[in-house]
Amino acid sequence: MALKRLWQRTTPLDRLVIGLLAIAVLFSFRLLTGGEPGERLLVERDGRLLFTAPLAADREVSLSGPLGQTVLVIRQGGARIVRSPCPHQDCLAMGPARHHGDLLACVPNRLLVRIEGGGSPPTDYDLLSR
Amino acid sequence: MTCSAAETQTLERLRRRIFLALFTALAVALHTLEALFPSPLPWFRPGLANILTVLALFLYGGGAAWSVTLARIAIGSLLLGQLFSPGFFLALAGGVTATAVMTGAEAVAGRRLGPVGISALGAAGHVVGQLLMAWLVVVRHPGVWRLLPLLLLFSLLAGLINGLVADSLLRRLRQHPAMKNSRKPGQEPEATG
Repeated sequence: MALKRLWQRTTPLDRLVIGLLAIAVLFSFRLLTGGEPGERLLVERDGRLLFTAPLAADREVSLSGPLGQTVLVIRQGGARIVRSPCPHQDCLAMGPARHHGDLLACVPNRLLVRIEGGGSPPTDYDLLSR
Repeated sequence: MTCSAAETQTLERLRRRIFLALFTALAVALHTLEALFPSPLPWFRPGLANILTVLALFLYGGGAAWSVTLARIAIGSLLLGQLFSPGFFLALAGGVTATAVMTGAEAVAGRRLGPVGISALGAAGHVVGQLLMAWLVVVRHPGVWRLLPLLLLFSLLAGLINGLVADSLLRRLRQHPAMKNSRKPGQEPEATG
């Protein structure tokens, strides 16, 4: 296999270095993709606003979609879906969302949870092309 | 062909200079070409010119790697009309950090670290150096660090690909008679202290 031939071109130390760099990438994603904390949560179904709530107050909401009730929990400034009637349960794996621009989506149940507020999105570096 | 030891040495020095000049020329060409490509975001570039720095490092040592990188950035920026512009300083910071990381790693690990590992380290170093410069001098907003994860991921992939390319080039170049006196894979780096 071609991939195996490529692998053989690396020394053990190469592999260690690559592994460490991959860990650094994962770590940096965890640390830095955050961004400004969000202020409000918006739930949309088919493009219509269904529900909105501040992230500061802890609460539990039941949202109805075509498949049934999806339960959303807001706790400590973050929102996550805890129960959903959808087949794959991907939306449970997506949470928690707490930063401006974060999304939680339950496609089968047609629900889209957005986080908004908390300062402007980071557009500064777009100004600098070279 | 018969020639004295002194002549062989002169020939070797000449060869080394010519190859380094060729490496630098190729690096400048790649640097310039890359800048002409459209990229989704500034700074997302594959860094193909680093292949030549890796070649110089493995064939002729750290000093050669430095000269290829610095000459490449100076001439490349001059060609693109961005000498001493912010972009030049970003490229310089990236190039200097990358070369420092690569020559440092080579000096420490020697032949245990191959071109792939060196190239991946250099790519990561480039990203960090560039962002550091961007943050300190150009943008002065901590928001630039939010680019780090994506840039690091991209640089790791690009560094691996560049390293594999450098590895195949090295294999080919070492078979060439002109390279028989260059540094062999098993040879320890020159005394660096």
